[in-house]
Amino acid sequence: MRMRVRINVSISNLHREFARMLRDIAFSLRFQTVLLRMKRTIGIAATALLGLSCLVAAQGRGGQAPSPASQRPPQTATPQTFSPEEIRAGQARFSSQCGFCHGRDAAGGETGPDLTRSDIVAADLRGDKISPIVRNGRPEKGMPGFDLSAADLGAIVAFIHDQKAKADTLGGGRRSVDVSDLQTGNAEEGRKYFGGDGKCSTCHSATGDLAGIGNRFQGLALLQRMLNPGGSGRPAPVPPRVLVTLPSGEKIVGPLVSRDEFSITITDAQDARRTWQVGQAEWTIYDPLSQHFDLLGKYTDKDMHNVFAYLQSLR
Amino acid sequence: MKMRFLCGLMLVIALTALAFAQGVTAPALLKPPADAWLTYHGDYSGRRHSTLSQITQENVTQLRQVWRFQVGQQSIKGTPILVDGVIYVTTPDNLWAIDARTARELWHYTHPRNNAFHIGHRGVAVYKDLVYLTTPDAHLIAFNAKDGKIRWDVTIADSRRGYWSTNAPLVVGNHVMVGVSGDFDNLPGQLKSIDADTGKTQWIFYSTPPPGISEPASGGATGGQMWMTGTYDPELNLVYVGTGNPTPVLNGPVRPGDNPWTCSIVALNPDTGKLVWGFQVSPHDTHDWDAAEVPVLVDGDFNGTPRKMLMQASRNGYFFVLDRTNGKNLLTKPFAAVNWAKEIDKDGRPIPDPAKEPSRDGVLVAPDESGGTNYRSPSYDPTTGLFIVSAHDAYGIYFFKPEHGNYGWAGADYGVGGRGFLRALDYKTGSLVWEHPIGNGPGSAGVLTTSTGLAFTGDIPGNLMALRTSDGKTLWHAPIGRVGNAPITYQLDGKQFLVVGAGNSLYAYALP
Repeated sequence: MRMRVRINVSISNLHREFARMLRDIAFSLRFQTVLLRMKRTIGIAATALLGLSCLVAAQGRGGQAPSPASQRPPQTATPQTFSPEEIRAGQARFSSQCGFCHGRDAAGGETGPDLTRSDIVAADLRGDKISPIVRNGRPEKGMPGFDLSAADLGAIVAFIHDQKAKADTLGGGRRSVDVSDLQTGNAEEGRKYFGGDGKCSTCHSATGDLAGIGNRFQGLALLQRMLNPGGSGRPAPVPPRVLVTLPSGEKIVGPLVSRDEFSITITDAQDARRTWQVGQAEWTIYDPLSQHFDLLGKYTDKDMHNVFAYLQSLR
Repeated sequence: MKMRFLCGLMLVIALTALAFAQGVTAPALLKPPADAWLTYHGDYSGRRHSTLSQITQENVTQLRQVWRFQVGQQSIKGTPILVDGVIYVTTPDNLWAIDARTARELWHYTHPRNNAFHIGHRGVAVYKDLVYLTTPDAHLIAFNAKDGKIRWDVTIADSRRGYWSTNAPLVVGNHVMVGVSGDFDNLPGQLKSIDADTGKTQWIFYSTPPPGISEPASGGATGGQMWMTGTYDPELNLVYVGTGNPTPVLNGPVRPGDNPWTCSIVALNPDTGKLVWGFQVSPHDTHDWDAAEVPVLVDGDFNGTPRKMLMQASRNGYFFVLDRTNGKNLLTKPFAAVNWAKEIDKDGRPIPDPAKEPSRDGVLVAPDESGGTNYRSPSYDPTTGLFIVSAHDAYGIYFFKPEHGNYGWAGADYGVGGRGFLRALDYKTGSLVWEHPIGNGPGSAGVLTTSTGLAFTGDIPGNLMALRTSDGKTLWHAPIGRVGNAPITYQLDGKQFLVVGAGNSLYAYALP
C-alpha cells in the first residue's frame, strides 16, 4: 500500500501539521523514503519540523534527564538524619532485598542504577518518594514491588540516604562514568561517519532534530541515547506507530502500547486504548528507531566515540 | 505351600515398607519413572526431554488449566520436583510441599529472616525420604519429605563474606552436591559434596584457589562459582558442572592470564571431587559471562563417529560440543550476536579480543552482561537432533578505569538493547535451523521438548507457548505471565500434566 505524503506547511502550527502528516504517511514505506520525499517537497522546513516534533515529543513525556551517573550527583533537597541503628538495619535489609540489582552499597549493580546519584533519592524526604517505588515497583523498568513492613522500608530509606551522603563526600560513585572519560573521539571523523557509512543523516540532521543535542544530553546519557534511544528500559522518544486495518477496510493509526505475536495494543486518535487479536485485524508497525539497533552490530568502538564527539559538539 | 505363601507375603510387605521408607532410590534417579520429576533437569542428562505422548501437536490446543498455586510476592525461577504425588516448589527462603492432585499445601517451610541475597531459587533435590533445600544464607537443610520436619541443617558457605545460594542440589549416590554464588566479593568458587544421610562434608572442589593457597596459574583471580545444577554420566561416573565468571568482574588487568577454572565446564569424579578434565569456554572473561549454563549430555553421531557428547549454549554467545569422555572440543560456533573474540584457538576456545576489554571510554560488546543466554534451560530433542535454546542478541557498553578498584564488580556496564529468540541449532554443525522471536530483551523461560514434537516455552510479553519442534511454529499459548524457567511434565493417574512456574504462581495444565 502506498499513499502520497500530503503536507501543507503552516509555520505557525508546525507541530499539529506534523502530527497530521504522521497520520497520513504510508507505513509500508521505509522511513528514509518518507524523509526523502519530505525533503523534496518542503526541504529544510520538514527537517526542522521533525526536530521540533521530536523535541516536543520528548518534552511531552517529561523530557529525559541525563543519566545521573555522568553528572555531579544531585544535591539532597532536604538534609535528613537517621539513627545508626536504623541505618544498620537498613543496610542488612537493603543488602538482601535490593543489593543484587542496585549493588550492596546502593551504587549500582547488575541491572539497577546507582541510587547515590539518583534524582529521586535527592528529592526524597524520609521515604516520601522512595517508598512508593519500593512498594509498587517500576514494572516498565523491570523492578518488582516489595512487600516490606514500614520499619524495614524506613530502615532501607535511611541506609540509601546514608550511602548517598557518604558517596557525596567521597566525590564520584564507585561505578561512575564521568563526562571526562568519554573524550576520546574525533568530532570531525564523527561528522563524516554521520553523513557517510553510518547513514545517520538519512533520518537526522545537525541543524534539525539534533540541533543543540550536546546541550540537552551529556556524557553517558548522550552515549546511551545515541546508541539506542529506546533501549534497555528507557522510554523511546518517539514510540513506534501502528497502522491497523480492520476487515471493514477502516484504518486506525496510533502509537504502539504493547504487542506480542498474538495481539496488539495501541492508543487511537481519541487517545483511547484498543487491542486486537491476530485474525481480528491486520497491522503494520512503523519503528524507525529500530534502525539504531541494527547499527549496533556495525559500529566500531572508534566510530562510536567519534559520533559521540560529533553529537557532543552540536551545541 | 502355605508357609511359602506367608513368607512371600511377608517379603512383599517388608519390601513395600522399605520402599516407602526409602522414597527416591538411586535406580529411580538413574531412570526416572513417568509419574515423577525427580531432579532439576528431570534426569541426569540435562536434555529436558520427555517421552510422554498424550499431549500431541493435534490436541495441544485443548490444554486446560487444572490448578494454580500462588506462592506470594516472589517469582518462581526454579523447577518444581514431583515425587510420590507431592510437588515441592521454592522461592528464596520458602519451600512448599503441595498435593499434586489438588494443589493443596501439605507443609510449608519459611527460613529465618536473613540478610543474604534473595535473587531467585532453582528448587530442591530429593533422595530416599529427604528433601534438600539451599537457602540464601548458604545453608543446606534436609527435611522429612512426609511432614517437613528438619532432619539436619548445615552451613555450606559463610554468607557474611558474600556467598549466597540459589542452587538446586545434584544427588549422585550418597553425594548431595551444592554450589553457591558470590559475584560482589572476591571469593573462591566452591562446590561442596555433602553426605546425603548425615550432612557431613565429603569433599570441596575449588574452581579458583581456596584462601591461603597460592596458585600462580589462576592469575590471582577469584570467583568461578558453580551456582547451577550439573549433569551426570553414570557410565563414566563423571559429574559435569559449569563454573561462573572470575572476580573482580570487569577489572581484567589485575588478574592476567586465562583464570582457570572460571567460565569453564569441569568434569569431576563425584566420589572424590577431583577434576578429571576442564574446558574453558571463556578464557580471561571480563564481561560477567558465567559458563554455568546446563551441560547437556547427548549420545549420538558426530561426523560419522558415535560419540558421548556434552553440549552447552554458553552465556558468552557460543555453542560448544565436547567429547565428554575427555573434554576435547568438537564444535564451537556462535548462536547469538558476538563481537568479543578475535579467534577460535586450536582447542576450540574463543580467545578474547583485548580491544573489547572494558575501558575508560567504554567499548560496545555483544552479548551484554545478561549474555547470549543464561540459566534458563535449553532442551535437546533426539528425534530432530535439535538443540533448542532461548538466545539473546544484545549489546552492552563496558567501562573500567583504575578508580573502579579491584574488588567485586570493579567496573560499570550498561545494556544498550537486545532481542530475544528461541533458536533451534543442528548440533552437528551449530547452524541455525529455525528461530522464533520472543520479544525485546532477554527471555526468562527455558524449554521442554516431548517425543510428540512439542517444545514448551514462554515469551517475554508473558505467554506460555507450545511450539512445533521441527519448525518453531506456535501451536498454542496461554497468557499467564512470564515463565520463570522450563516447564516440566509427568503422568499421574494415567493423565499427562504440564506444570510451569510463571510470575508468582505454579500452573498445571492437562487435556480435558
